[in-house]
Amino acid sequence: MTALLSVRDLTVTYRTSQGEVPAVRGVSFELEPGGSLGLAGESGCGKSTMANAILRLLPAGTTTTGEVLLGEEDVLTMKPGRLRAVRWTGAAIVFQGALHALNPVQRVIDQITEPIILHKTEPDEKAAEKRAVDLLGQVGIPANRAEDYPHQLSGGQRQRVLIAMALACDPDLLIADEPTTALDLMVQAQVLAVLEKLRGERQLSMIFITHDLSVLTYVCDRLAVMYAGRIVERGPSDQVFERPTHPYTRALAAAFPTIGDRESRMNPSGLKGDPPDPAALPAGCPFHPRCPDAIDRCRDAEPPLLPSGPAQEAACILARP
Amino acid sequence: MTEALVVVEDLHIHFGAARAVDGVNLAVMPGEVLALVGESGSGKTTLIRAIQGLTHPTSGKVLFEGKEADTRHLPDVQMVFQDPTGALNPRRTVSEIVAEGLRIEKFKGNEAEAVSTALSRAGLRPPERFLRRFPHEISGGQRQRVVIAGAMVTEPRLLLADEPVASLDASIRGEILGLLRNLVDTTGLAVLVVTHDLGLAWNIADRVAVMYLGRIIEVGPTEELLDSPKHPYTKALLSVVPETRGMEQQILSGEIPDPKRIPSGCRFHPRCPVLQSGESERLGIAERCRGEDLAIISADATRDAACWAVSPRRGEWPVRAEGGVI
Repeated sequence: MTALLSVRDLTVTYRTSQGEVPAVRGVSFELEPGGSLGLAGESGCGKSTMANAILRLLPAGTTTTGEVLLGEEDVLTMKPGRLRAVRWTGAAIVFQGALHALNPVQRVIDQITEPIILHKTEPDEKAAEKRAVDLLGQVGIPANRAEDYPHQLSGGQRQRVLIAMALACDPDLLIADEPTTALDLMVQAQVLAVLEKLRGERQLSMIFITHDLSVLTYVCDRLAVMYAGRIVERGPSDQVFERPTHPYTRALAAAFPTIGDRESRMNPSGLKGDPPDPAALPAGCPFHPRCPDAIDRCRDAEPPLLPSGPAQEAACILARP
Repeated sequence: MTEALVVVEDLHIHFGAARAVDGVNLAVMPGEVLALVGESGSGKTTLIRAIQGLTHPTSGKVLFEGKEADTRHLPDVQMVFQDPTGALNPRRTVSEIVAEGLRIEKFKGNEAEAVSTALSRAGLRPPERFLRRFPHEISGGQRQRVVIAGAMVTEPRLLLADEPVASLDASIRGEILGLLRNLVDTTGLAVLVVTHDLGLAWNIADRVAVMYLGRIIEVGPTEELLDSPKHPYTKALLSVVPETRGMEQQILSGEIPDPKRIPSGCRFHPRCPVLQSGESERLGIAERCRGEDLAIISADATRDAACWAVSPRRGEWPVRAEGGVI
């Protein structure tokens, strides 16, 4: 089966006043039709940059190399007209911060119909509106709220409007960047359930980005953990979460304790130090200064991703299958 | 029995028709971490503003060390906010930021020494390395430590922490929570932490109080409450925490109702799975759920839940601090 999305050796370098800053440093992965990939990592690890790079949404002056194959086509070399068609219809993105992503002076229904009309995925305006109302229904927003302005909706409803909007042109791939971070627990569960339902109903593929590993385990089949611009561990999500082989994944998995687990009671677990500055990465394995298991050899070279278990890979010289 | 540091008695705070706090009894003991758990709109923020003396009660009272809370207590009651970047003045150095509380208080002792002590207590060691830095020159985790140092410099009795780790990276979270717990254990400080993060409560809290629509609906020692929640709202919250595995998810529909229109009867009844599933009917309490408001949980209850299905005195409920069942 051909992959829906195939990212090959992707690098992204920002140009800043301090010189060139590598944000993504050689990432490769594939996503099957209907599959879901969770990308975990902390601020500055390159996960959002990568999501934006997939749809070429990065600011001018950023250098991107490698390949982003959506079906057979490379997004990175597409002509502007084709790129515009692929955004929305091929792949769509849901950003975090529903407050800011919606136009405050436009009714939500108009914001959803706009891409449908522009991309002509429905024959006329009437059909587009009908589709918009349908989409709102699918994310649990009743038809009588369609004429509302964003400020009349709650945070959770706004986030669901963004999901409905991303689905407007029936994309094959949905990229969700921290879609639930700003939401309350119960509302977060509601939004995740909507995403799960949609994925089942329409064979939608998903890339889901967050720093909360346990959320990803719940939503995604596969998990990739990023650190300092690279994937440092990946595999089936349950396996990665329950049997992490990279020390960084272990720390992330322990950061949000399992309630009821006596070991974490009155014993919060974290890592010393801070995520590295992408402009000044440590030599060798970039994680070694914070790594509880580091040995001398870790300073020598950056380890590649190698098998560390059944269908699992880790970039750590101490991780063995 | 130790004297409570803060006593909240039958507190009501209304803003026009909105009953933000609608009957709360609560005691905070010295040397404990109490997690106040609830979603947006539950009244947590209004409650902690009242403890600071920044919002006046519509009725009821807030006592701090036996006296009515007002802003004169502020050196004894300090606050840690969610977003350290927003909480720090970008044009002040770390030492000026930490000293601010002392200056407001017209501190007579050695300011430089107090600032250095606060910084090292907050884990910024050696303090000299940080004194002259500006907030943008240090990392997010260090910024939150500066906020904590600034709060600790006046040697408060109570720290109010509003989602202290929600905006921090996952790997830093544990270190900051460990710091808070350590301050409590070594100085006898009390921490009231407002959060919707039940994992945080599991990590550091001695007790948990769950708020819903202006009231505390369940309270108890952390392990007991999180291991065997009694209120259907607490149960539902726990079931959707991705960190609790193997529990069947119970996603409530809708959101917390408008505090201007608090439902009659049990305020949770329109969303309650016990009522919806017909369980209340079977227990013969459905009428009460819909029409009869529950008594406000008392401040000296060590374990209680405001639910008709559990609290009609079924043997173990509720339990008072002195032990024994009422």
